[in-house]
Amino acid sequence: MIEREGAAGKRGNRIEEAHAEWREKILEPRIKRFNLKESPTRFHLPPGQGEESFLQKVGFPGQYPFTAGNQPFDYWQAYAPDAARLGYRPDWGGSGKVGKYGGFGTPEDYRDYLFRMQSMGRMGGPNIAFDLPTQCGYDSDSPYAAGEVGRVGVAIDSFRDFETVYEAYTGGLDIDKVPSNFTINAPAAVIIAMYAVLAKKRGIPLEKLGGTPQNDILKEFIARGTYIFPPRPSMRLFRDTCVFCTRRMKSLNINSIGGYHMREAGASRVQDLAFSLANGIAYVEAGLEGGLEVDQFAPRFTFNAFGGSMEIYREIALQRAARRMWAEIMKERFRAKDKRSMMIRQPITAHIGCISTTLARPLNNLVRAVIGGMAAGMSGGIPGAFPPFDEPLGLGHSQEAVQLQLDATRIMIYEAKVADVCDPWAGSYFMEFLTDEIEEEAASELKKIETMGGAVAAIENGYMQRAIAKSAYERQKAIEAREDFVVGVNCFTGDNEIEVTVNRVVEDTYDAKLLTTAEDRQKKKIQELKRQRSSRAVSRSLSVLKTQAGLEGENLMPAICDCVEHDATVQEICDALRDVFGEAQPVKI
Amino acid sequence: MDQQGKIRVLIAKPGLDGHERGARVVAFGLRDEGFEVIYTGLRQTPEQIVNAAIQEDVRVVGLSILSGAHLSLTQKVIEGLRRNRADDVLVLVGGVIPDADRTALKDMGVAEVFTSGVRIGDIAALIRLHADAVPVQVQP
Amino acid sequence: MERSWEDLIQAMRQGSVRALSQMITAVENRETGWHEGMKAVYPFSGSACVIGITGSPGAGKSTLTSVIARRMAEQGLSLGIIAVDPSSPFSGGALLGDRLRMQEISTLPGIFIRSMATRGSLGGLCQAARDVTRILDASGKDVILIETVGVGQDEIDVVRASDFVMLVLFPGSGDGIQVIKAGTMEIADLFVVNKADRDGADEMASEIAAMLSLCAFEDRPVPQVVRTSALNRIGIDELMSVLTGIVRERKKRRLPGSDEVREEILELVEREISRLVRQDLAKNGRLQQSVDLILAKKSDPYTAAARLLPLFVRSSGACSGQEGRP
Repeated sequence: MIEREGAAGKRGNRIEEAHAEWREKILEPRIKRFNLKESPTRFHLPPGQGEESFLQKVGFPGQYPFTAGNQPFDYWQAYAPDAARLGYRPDWGGSGKVGKYGGFGTPEDYRDYLFRMQSMGRMGGPNIAFDLPTQCGYDSDSPYAAGEVGRVGVAIDSFRDFETVYEAYTGGLDIDKVPSNFTINAPAAVIIAMYAVLAKKRGIPLEKLGGTPQNDILKEFIARGTYIFPPRPSMRLFRDTCVFCTRRMKSLNINSIGGYHMREAGASRVQDLAFSLANGIAYVEAGLEGGLEVDQFAPRFTFNAFGGSMEIYREIALQRAARRMWAEIMKERFRAKDKRSMMIRQPITAHIGCISTTLARPLNNLVRAVIGGMAAGMSGGIPGAFPPFDEPLGLGHSQEAVQLQLDATRIMIYEAKVADVCDPWAGSYFMEFLTDEIEEEAASELKKIETMGGAVAAIENGYMQRAIAKSAYERQKAIEAREDFVVGVNCFTGDNEIEVTVNRVVEDTYDAKLLTTAEDRQKKKIQELKRQRSSRAVSRSLSVLKTQAGLEGENLMPAICDCVEHDATVQEICDALRDVFGEAQPVKI
Repeated sequence: MDQQGKIRVLIAKPGLDGHERGARVVAFGLRDEGFEVIYTGLRQTPEQIVNAAIQEDVRVVGLSILSGAHLSLTQKVIEGLRRNRADDVLVLVGGVIPDADRTALKDMGVAEVFTSGVRIGDIAALIRLHADAVPVQVQP
Repeated sequence: MERSWEDLIQAMRQGSVRALSQMITAVENRETGWHEGMKAVYPFSGSACVIGITGSPGAGKSTLTSVIARRMAEQGLSLGIIAVDPSSPFSGGALLGDRLRMQEISTLPGIFIRSMATRGSLGGLCQAARDVTRILDASGKDVILIETVGVGQDEIDVVRASDFVMLVLFPGSGDGIQVIKAGTMEIADLFVVNKADRDGADEMASEIAAMLSLCAFEDRPVPQVVRTSALNRIGIDELMSVLTGIVRERKKRRLPGSDEVREEILELVEREISRLVRQDLAKNGRLQQSVDLILAKKSDPYTAAARLLPLFVRSSGACSGQEGRP
């Protein structure tokens, strides 16, 4: 034993000596020869870890600290050959699966679209995009909604609207059979309440409802901007949904904690990781404050893709560091025992982010997406090519782009067999080094936030918002100064290069004519609703909500469900809460 | 450095779209190009934007829109400026703007449309060109 | 300049917002003949109450300013708000972000908000703020609020243009009394402990009160300490009653003291001399000669200054040093 340690120590010294010699004799002369300040590549030494350290820091897939992956293999890998033989298209969904993300116009417009898609064999559960007025808690007849109704998603003003969309989901696609995804944050409690009320009306037990509401309000303050109430009452609403879902809707995920949006907004890799962890910690604390045990609810947290750059090695390391850090936080800090509480569950993992795509020679984005897919496949995720190459054109994804995206993913899975090895870089000098490096930097950033008082405080004082705005600007400057290179944007743009055009048929999805009239139709429906419903019941339920909102300990979900059931509108519910909570203030950058 | 006669620029995000990256980057960039940038932040109604442009007496209004609502929102801002006899204000639009809408925006009176990949130096150059070419017109 | 200042001032006084904002631009930019413009403005000024609002970043000044402005507008008062932010020392540009929190009130009738960059000290920030204040005053505003970050000389300068200064602090910022800079404490007529819903607000308020009790305020009342939470609407009534009192008093007072007038004249003269000296030295190249000599270690700044001074000052005075001359 002593001898072995001695040997290891000696070996460590010898490697370091050799490394010094290598720097002096090989590296430095070469840097000099090319007149560089530093080497354009990095070579990493063995991290000086013995077996103990490997087991502690990497371990086996499916075991703490999950550096090597959540599972030895994922469910899709079990069915991969079958999916190939059957020609399964994930974008078309299938019963029991989440369908394609979408939403536009009025609920009627979107419902009819869904019927049309289903008649073409495109199944899958609701995956609903809401329009901006709904996301910000305004009805379609609000002055703030002008021009925005039904544009980036479907307009939902009341439970009736919600019910209308769900007319497309009955029988084999009923809500106890397919999961629902809601990209909704500030008014998440209202949408979750609508889901619950729908189940009640359909006579379906709440615990049978599956799916995921995004319900990640903190990153709205940091990155995406669709907030309503100030951070603290927003967290109270999160707490109430967390407790309600845990107790009543046991199959529903509670949230989807996103690094993705922060990264798109400019966050660096380390900020992405540190801020997501800080937000995650705040959500765990909210659940605990609601009187739950950590293992009751933490297994139902999901994450929304850490990632968003072309730097393949570092993106792989990021996934590994993220899994390890979250596992440690949950186990050591929150004393979780259930390993599902310690896992970062996310539908997609590494990816390049929309921010890496370019408008110039857009077909290059396919190559870029494949590199993101490689990173995902080599770090415990589906090797998915994301996004479709025509993303930056701003016209919706064409059939061709979606086809190529799918094929790229298939080629990575079936031909290149990218994901056939779990954590293929484990034990590699440089990957362990990069993983440690990212972990260290993220830990120190996280510590900074904790010193301020955690994620909520770091949002209130504007730290996180300013930090990512600064990072975004640094990135822009680096591109403009040509310190970072983007092919076709700031290099290789000369006369020798040619523009590559592509045929592109946009899927005939959303009828533009419907969009122009959506606002008026939706406004008429609100008037009609307000005539038909019992205004007495509405004001009574809203006033109960208001009273309870003033009582910090009260769980608001039952009161919100009551408002929804009496056909109070989304804005009326949010206004009642605005009266008590106030509204979020923008932060000066 | 000329401390006097700074060119003042308003950067605003009309509508409910909350994607602020581009607007902030341009605001920082134009500050570093020597302009005085008034940043109004998210969720601005066209009325608020026009009002701010007049009160701040800016030479340039930059609108950042990624929600697809660019045509109607820009139209309202331009109409508002005209109503206030401030049509010498240069209107720029940035965001995710399909090629087809670029022409429509320019027909409306937008001087230039900037999409992903633009250099801040180019935006600054355009603003300086405008400031030199169009003298301040005072209409009491 | 094609238009006459009189036309512009008349339009502004008749309520043209565009004329008002263009008048401010012309004077702020020190456009040719700006003195004439200010001369024409001056007789119309002198009736508005000017309140300076300062405090460290993050104290919630903009939100508080918004709340105050809204309340005053509800009382039927018209308001001008000047929000000052620093210029970048590198580019000379500025990012003016105070409107961010005031946009909501910016469309209320009678409210005019103007963002202003410090533009280095060359232009004389205090004078510029005073000028803009006067223009707003002449346009008929009852109250003018000047909001500025209380971290530098510029800000102290700005508040010198005010009748009344409100210092906004907040607990839990490490913003204890001991770190309030010397000079900032003395200029305040009212201390506001904002974000009073947070821990430590009461302690902070009593600490300030205790400290104030030790100070001597010969010619003015001992500053009050008010606790507020702009977001939760706590303490706003109390704050408003203090401010309303100030506005009422000011309406009675009207005339500035002779010290203030004297200082302003001196400042205007100093600025103009400074401008002329800089202009002249830059033109004839003598300044650069001196710089080169110093860099070559053949002279020193004191000698250089002593040599240049006689170019501008004829009578021998305290500043015309003879030492070091050959």
